[in-house]
Amino acid sequence: MELDYNTLGLKSGLEIHQQLDSSKLFCNCPSLLRKEEPKFTVKRKLHAVAGESGEIDVAAAHESLAEKEFTYEGYDTICLVELDEEPPHVVNKEALEIALQIALLLNCKIIPITQIMRKTVIDGSNTSGFQRTVLIARDGELEISSGKIGIATLCLEEDAARIIDKEKGIFRLDRLGIPLVEIATKADIKNPQQAKEAALKLGELLRLVKVKRGIGTIRQDVNLSIKGGQRVELKGFQDIRNIERAMEIEVQRQEGLVKQKKSIAEVRAVNSDGSSRFLRPLPGAARMYPETDLPLLKISREKIDKAKKEIQKVSKEELKIEGLSDDMIKLLSNHNKLDEFKEMLSIINNPLLIAKTILIFPKEIASKEKKSLAEVGKTLNRDVLGNVLENVAKGKIDEGNIKHILEKIVKGESYEGVIDNKKEDINFIEERIAKIIKEKPGLSINAYMGLVMKEFKGKISGQEANEIIRKYVK
Amino acid sequence: MKIENKPEPGDLVEIFLIKNSYKGIFLESPESEKGIFLLKLDSGYNIGLNKKDIFEIKVLKKSSEKKEKIEVKKDKEKPNIAMIITGGTIAARLNPKKGGVDWLDTPESLFKFYPELFKIVNVTKVEVPFMKASEDMDYKDWQKIAKTAQKFLNDSNINGIIITHGTDTLHYTSAALSFFLKDLNKPVVLTYSQRSIDRASSDASLNLECAAIAAISDIAEVFIVGHASSNDDFCYALRGTKVRKLHSSRRDAFKPVNTEPIAKITRDTLNLLSNYKKRNTNKTRTDLKFEEKVALIKFYPGQDPDILEYYRKKGYKGIVIEMTGLGHVATKRARKGWTKKLKQIQDRGIVICAASQCINGRLDPLVYSNGLEIFSTGVIYLEDMLAETALVKLGWVLGHKEWAKNKDEVKKMMLRNIAGEFSDRLEN
Repeated sequence: MELDYNTLGLKSGLEIHQQLDSSKLFCNCPSLLRKEEPKFTVKRKLHAVAGESGEIDVAAAHESLAEKEFTYEGYDTICLVELDEEPPHVVNKEALEIALQIALLLNCKIIPITQIMRKTVIDGSNTSGFQRTVLIARDGELEISSGKIGIATLCLEEDAARIIDKEKGIFRLDRLGIPLVEIATKADIKNPQQAKEAALKLGELLRLVKVKRGIGTIRQDVNLSIKGGQRVELKGFQDIRNIERAMEIEVQRQEGLVKQKKSIAEVRAVNSDGSSRFLRPLPGAARMYPETDLPLLKISREKIDKAKKEIQKVSKEELKIEGLSDDMIKLLSNHNKLDEFKEMLSIINNPLLIAKTILIFPKEIASKEKKSLAEVGKTLNRDVLGNVLENVAKGKIDEGNIKHILEKIVKGESYEGVIDNKKEDINFIEERIAKIIKEKPGLSINAYMGLVMKEFKGKISGQEANEIIRKYVK
Repeated sequence: MKIENKPEPGDLVEIFLIKNSYKGIFLESPESEKGIFLLKLDSGYNIGLNKKDIFEIKVLKKSSEKKEKIEVKKDKEKPNIAMIITGGTIAARLNPKKGGVDWLDTPESLFKFYPELFKIVNVTKVEVPFMKASEDMDYKDWQKIAKTAQKFLNDSNINGIIITHGTDTLHYTSAALSFFLKDLNKPVVLTYSQRSIDRASSDASLNLECAAIAAISDIAEVFIVGHASSNDDFCYALRGTKVRKLHSSRRDAFKPVNTEPIAKITRDTLNLLSNYKKRNTNKTRTDLKFEEKVALIKFYPGQDPDILEYYRKKGYKGIVIEMTGLGHVATKRARKGWTKKLKQIQDRGIVICAASQCINGRLDPLVYSNGLEIFSTGVIYLEDMLAETALVKLGWVLGHKEWAKNKDEVKKMMLRNIAGEFSDRLEN
């Protein structure tokens, strides 16, 4: 069933948490996740603390229903700051610089005087009982195909400790304190497709600066509400592709709740199938108070100018270094292919060839075969294209042959089938090599290599040629 | 700047800059940032605005802080204790709505923050002789605490007392109370917090709960109760004369020196670990005499002994020198030897005592000829006594004219074990 998001009055915003690649935000420990057995453990308890008017924050109260003991695992890469045994050091300079660069990339207004805050969190994921966070910038924008999405706020904050055993309340301190930027868009997103696109776009943009890469280094949350309903936060997407599905399911659930007048403000965890489960009530603003151990954070003109210069350098380097034309860069960016492009660069260092393979060829094939680009894209997905390019890099596929091979795949031939064809080719080549050796006996292996590679360049790798020649030269 | 009604902390305001405006709750400016207005935005985040950039401030809504009524009910089944609140992290709380600090100085405010404490005991009396950071205190404050403590100790409805205090000089206060309170009949428990009480991880809760257990225990001594380790599992009871702050920030900042803890205390148990004076029916007295003209100096290599002249000219009556190792300062063989000056200064009636910079271990001037040379000038070597305790004790001893007039009497008193300040045996 296609949902009519306009009529439902869907309002949605994204919250992206991205780890930065610097040492920790409030101490000098390396931002290093550990796999070994912990070197020591510390046991702690957390207490709900009443707010000024005596009320305990609704989310904090939910967490503290049962006073629980927490165990924290530590290593030689952990210091007293993560253990809540030493006051925080001043904000890590590099992390602040990176955050400012991101703020500028999103055209945000930077806040020159701001205060580091403590956000009450008593689920045990912070030894202190709060997460330190500071509002760095606000009012930016992100461009997606359907228009502009406003950026409400950009905060710099510390990551939480890692859950090792939820039941037993065991956390690992390695992740606690890793710098994060939290980017919250305005509720400008009108449908799930836009949400997914905005998330992808933000991810791409973040990779222009010094951020951490890999699983768990970026996390997306979706805030949504429909007409007559409360705000819901969806958390913990394992895969960005799940955003659309999860939003669809939640909107449907909300539709039902609104009819029964049962919609409540809550935080929900997304399951792998896109459904979600209740996590806790949505926290109120009452859970924020100042970090009294640190002075006001003042962001000078010089710091902002430095970040601006860095951004100009970063974007130029990033885009020019690959030897692509500005138009090609724009094209990649418009098709959300920058990320894929960079992934392929690690497979084969030939930017133009990659651009052709992931962008131009699929387009040409689509128009030739009278198929939509999306349809072609489903067949020629990242894995297939990556594999083809890998074989090009290994010399198993000739550059000039790529388009032909992709065409065959789109026409329905299996990828393995295409590769099998290549095996036949090798059998044929071997015959020819045997013949060359027979015709010119007594030469060195190197000399045969020269002859063979001259004739079959691109169709066979040096290693393959070498193996075949050795079969016939004793 | 145009200001419509002067905004008070807590008011909802709109602040206009040249280009844009911000709405939020008006907060108190930090002490060191008088040129800045702080504003709490809707999101809960605070930002700062330079006063000189502000064009106009409009008060949108006055703060309407309602005083809540909290009733602390007494439970006849529970033992009664009294509390003396003197300031420090454990009694100060940031008011996030205004930005300033609130003090916890009534049973109601204590109840709000430490409801667990009231599960163990009734806090029937709370007295606040002053509110100070502990580094701002001096002997007059110790005297005030002692007088208040005496009053509570001789109240038959009260089982024991808890004194909350800043950490920095807590061990000086604990030493002073150990000498000031005579014929002690009930527990006098000092406790603290290293993590502010407005955070969920505050160490104050465990410290206070264990202090309550200690205050109704059998230990009639002056002692500090606080975290035994970084874990939130148990505390130690540490004798007031043999304890020192040995870490600037950890929860277990206080460690026993040259002794063992008196007891290990969890939230519901107390295990005795060493000898102690038992609860009794004495009437507790105070002996508050104190000579203010005492000093504690730390010897360092190359230090000019003329520093002693400064103290003499200023009318000091006694000095504790934190000496190196077993009890040494520069001798005759040094470029700036102290031997002669020490002799001169003592001849003029100033009492010189020695304590060790090593903190751990006992002094012994007889091992090296250098030690013997210093010892021979008449310096009183205070065995394993802590330098801080030594300073307090010297002030207390010299405060007694009948002892102070005779150097031998002073020496006898300084070396007499009055409040557990000496250990006969060191196991570590």
